[in-house]
Amino acid sequence: MDSTKLMKLREESGIKVIEIQTDLSSYAASDLRKVLEGLLAEKVEKVVVNLSQVSHINSTAVGALVGVAKRLRQSGGDLKICSLADNLTRTFNLIGASSVVEIYESENSALAAF
Amino acid sequence: MAQADIQLQIPSAAFYIEPVRVFVGNLAQSLGFSRKRVSDIQLVLDEICSNAVHHGSADEKVGVKLCISIDTHALEILVRDTGRRYTGEKNWLTHERLSEIEMNRSPNNERGHGIFIAKSLADMHEMQPNAAGGTDVRVTFRLPKPRDIEI
Repeated sequence: MDSTKLMKLREESGIKVIEIQTDLSSYAASDLRKVLEGLLAEKVEKVVVNLSQVSHINSTAVGALVGVAKRLRQSGGDLKICSLADNLTRTFNLIGASSVVEIYESENSALAAF
Repeated sequence: MAQADIQLQIPSAAFYIEPVRVFVGNLAQSLGFSRKRVSDIQLVLDEICSNAVHHGSADEKVGVKLCISIDTHALEILVRDTGRRYTGEKNWLTHERLSEIEMNRSPNNERGHGIFIAKSLADMHEMQPNAAGGTDVRVTFRLPKPRDIEI
């Protein structure tokens, strides 16, 4: 199964929004990496990842988000994350990724932060 | 003491981790773990299975074995891989390798958080080389209340 189909891309005011519609365990995490790498290849600079429909995320997926956020910042852009369930916030906090990637309560607040 | 064991074997491919994660989540919920603790158990399972698939398997055919044991006090999960000896690679579980992973772990790193997560969230975490040349990872989660097990 190709879970990239469950990662919907749209654009809001020049910012790419990825709406993830699947849990991010090991398999989907590698698809998330592919989607993010695709955006880097397209020279996209501003990305918001909406996790409102995600109930599980593992360290591979968190690592992919951290890696792309760092690469985007090198070119003046950024990746911001929004709408995390409590257990996802705990995973980001446990790894320490919440100090590396900006996390917002809603998609609107993430978009407004650019 | 009554004990129930569930044994599973999955191909060494990430695709098969998700259904096992869902199954173990449902099992943990049935055993009375809180929603927060069910999430912890699912995350730990995902991390240790991912390590077994990505670092502890020569190819998809060799498979990863899981033994899930429930007794009156705890849920224990053993994940067993067979290592990569056929590919000429060293077992990924060595003291040097583990120390290196732990010393280098940083929020800025994209990888290397799995063992840290398992150690942090499980009530007990143990890693040992096994006779097959791979690694056994055993994690234990204490049940919120002791319970009778029906076999």
